Amino acid sequence: MSKLIASNLHRRFREGGQDLHVLRGVDLDVRDREWLAILGRSGSGKSTLLHLLGGLDRPTEGSVAFNGDDLFKLPGGKLDRYRNAHVGFVFQFYHLLPELNALENVLVSSMIGSSAFAWPGRKRAARQRAAELLGRVGLAERLRHRPNKLSGGERQRVAIARALMNAPDVLLADEPTGNLDADTSASIIELFRSLHAAGQTIVMVTHDDAVASAADRQVTLVEGRLSTSAG
Amino acid sequence: MYKLVLISKYLRRKLAPMFAALAVTLCTMMVIIVISVMGGFLDLLRASAQRLSGDVIVSAGSFTGFPYYQELIDAIDALPEAEAATPIIRSYGLLKLGDRNNPVEVEGILPEGYDRVVGYKQSLYWTTQKMLDAFDHRYEPPLDEYEQSYRDKLAEQDLVEFGMTFDPPAARKQRAGRDDLDAIVLGIEISPRNQRDEQGRYDINRSSISDDVTLTVLPLTSEGGVLDLEIKPRPFAVVNEFKSGLYDVDANRVYVRLDTLQKMLLMDAWEKLDDEGFPTGEKTQPRVTEVLVKAAPGVPLEALRRAVDGAVRKVQRRHADMPVLFTMTWEERHRTLLSAVQNEKGMVTFLFVIISVVAVVMVGTTLYMIVLEKTRDIGILRAIGASRLGIANVFLGYGLAIGIIGALIGAGLAYLIVNNLNGIQEWLAAWFGWRMWNPQTYYFDRIPDEVKTTDAVAIGIGAVISCVVGALISAFIAARQDPIEALRHE
Ligand SMILES: Nc1ncnc2c1ncn2[C@@H]1O[C@H](COP(=O)(O)OP(=O)(O)OP(=O)(O)O)[C@@H](O)[C@H]1O
Ligand SMILES: [Mg+2]
Repeated sequence: MSKLIASNLHRRFREGGQDLHVLRGVDLDVRDREWLAILGRSGSGKSTLLHLLGGLDRPTEGSVAFNGDDLFKLPGGKLDRYRNAHVGFVFQFYHLLPELNALENVLVSSMIGSSAFAWPGRKRAARQRAAELLGRVGLAERLRHRPNKLSGGERQRVAIARALMNAPDVLLADEPTGNLDADTSASIIELFRSLHAAGQTIVMVTHDDAVASAADRQVTLVEGRLSTSAG
Repeated sequence: MYKLVLISKYLRRKLAPMFAALAVTLCTMMVIIVISVMGGFLDLLRASAQRLSGDVIVSAGSFTGFPYYQELIDAIDALPEAEAATPIIRSYGLLKLGDRNNPVEVEGILPEGYDRVVGYKQSLYWTTQKMLDAFDHRYEPPLDEYEQSYRDKLAEQDLVEFGMTFDPPAARKQRAGRDDLDAIVLGIEISPRNQRDEQGRYDINRSSISDDVTLTVLPLTSEGGVLDLEIKPRPFAVVNEFKSGLYDVDANRVYVRLDTLQKMLLMDAWEKLDDEGFPTGEKTQPRVTEVLVKAAPGVPLEALRRAVDGAVRKVQRRHADMPVLFTMTWEERHRTLLSAVQNEKGMVTFLFVIISVVAVVMVGTTLYMIVLEKTRDIGILRAIGASRLGIANVFLGYGLAIGIIGALIGAGLAYLIVNNLNGIQEWLAAWFGWRMWNPQTYYFDRIPDEVKTTDAVAIGIGAVISCVVGALISAFIAARQDPIEALRHE
């Protein structure tokens, strides 16, 4: 069964009169419970593709189908809902909210998903889940710390906890180990492995073959198209 | 829900919102103070003007006045809309005070009735108590026998009563050598010796209350000629002075009894003479120039004016020789003064508009800066599912919060300052010798120190609305961005 189906995705950027054709007809089928790694050189368009899968950006052409619906034909509210509830996004550069502490950064995606009236009823359970997730990524002691008090690896793990908060159908991670040392990378991969074992669908972007080899399946972006590469 | 959390976080973590809130605080405070003080003065002025002329005035518009006024007053008294009516003569004369001749406005009044319509009694400035206070201030206790008896004598006199009866004390009549000596009450600013001190008070030792003056008036014919060829100054004993609250009036007006002025102006009843100069046995009607009417409680001005107009017509129908009479409200009588007041209100409103624009721009810029600074955060929030409306609401709510905080603090400070304005002024005067409000120069003794709650609430709401308006553009800009655009923002 497929979770996400991307068909014939094109993405061009027009910048300063120059036309940059980054994605040139990407077809991708993300299967349920699989762990997929997307490889490619820097600038090949990996992040661009992941953003399209996460509904953060719009393709110049083509579609991404989730549960049979084309994401980019959904009304604005539904697309917001998709981003909030159905995918969890881990950014290449963490992107935490600097004013909020670790716990609040994780909670915020749950808050966005519930109205101000519903929130008081859900708050307790949500806090518990957020704390639990942070515990699972090894940050049980850092709940009240703000991002500027955390190391890169710790920030990345907060970002992962945030992405998992609403139990997404698909976890999209953009270079989750890109800026980390070998030991920290290994611990993140270990975390993904256990998530995968528990049935989490994961799409991970990386340019590191060693990291990619942990995944079930690897695809490579070359000249705007995907080619299957041997794992 | 994240909106509230973010708003409160943004409010607490940044300097910029503090500046915006400070700007709102200052603007709100300033406007409330200006409106309160200015409005206070305007209200004082209006109240004084109204107090001086009752609510509705009936006038012949001439110095010769009109007869049958008692009939008119009886008719007005019968109206349910009118509480009281009193006749007056308004004329002009020369007052000789010391060696100065002052042109003055002379009003002849019936003190009791006049008091009922315009609150004359309470405008009399000198009271026995003020006189005794001044005495006690001068003589240290214990008093010797002579001083004590002098004080007792002072205490026996009722200065206000003299101003009501217009009957000078016997000693004054003796001194003048006239048993029929009449009394006069002067506006307190007429005598140049009367000076206000820093609290706006006058000194009884410099007052005119034991002076003798003379008054000259011109009896006029209906053609405007002078009636009596032998016009002589008439002596009067000053028994009190009044302070109405309108400088122009206090510097120009004197009061005498109505019947005294009628005699002086030949407007009293006198026997008509035939062509050869023999008495005919027929008497003329006494005349006055105006009748002042006070409204019964709760009766609108215009309703009273219409009712009085009806009474005037009724009397006019009975007497063919009654001149045309005009009925006007006190607002019409004081139109020039009130239009000046109105103008100043316009000025204040204009000021208010400018200040609101300043507040809008301040909050607008602050929020715009915050939006720019927070663009990445906006991208993050959108990426994890926040809607455009939600983002717009964060910034609108932010503007609202800044507005509410600023308006509340501003209103609170304004309240404190205005309520203690006179105390603050005393304090400034004591420490720095500086008076922002000097009753020596200005006519009201005190700076108005009351904030009208309705004004304050309206201004506060205005400030909050200004802030939300200022936040609109920023909120719109924030909401417009796509998540990835915002995330790529450096
Ligand atoms: N909004 C944009 N406007 C213009 N050019 C863009 C935009 N987004 C991406 N690009 C360009 O598209 C190309 C692909 O960018 P992308 O970030 O997807 O690469 P990447 O494979 O993720 O690279 P890296 O491994 O360095 O993260 C780059 O050349 C980039 O400059
Ligand atoms: Mg990238």
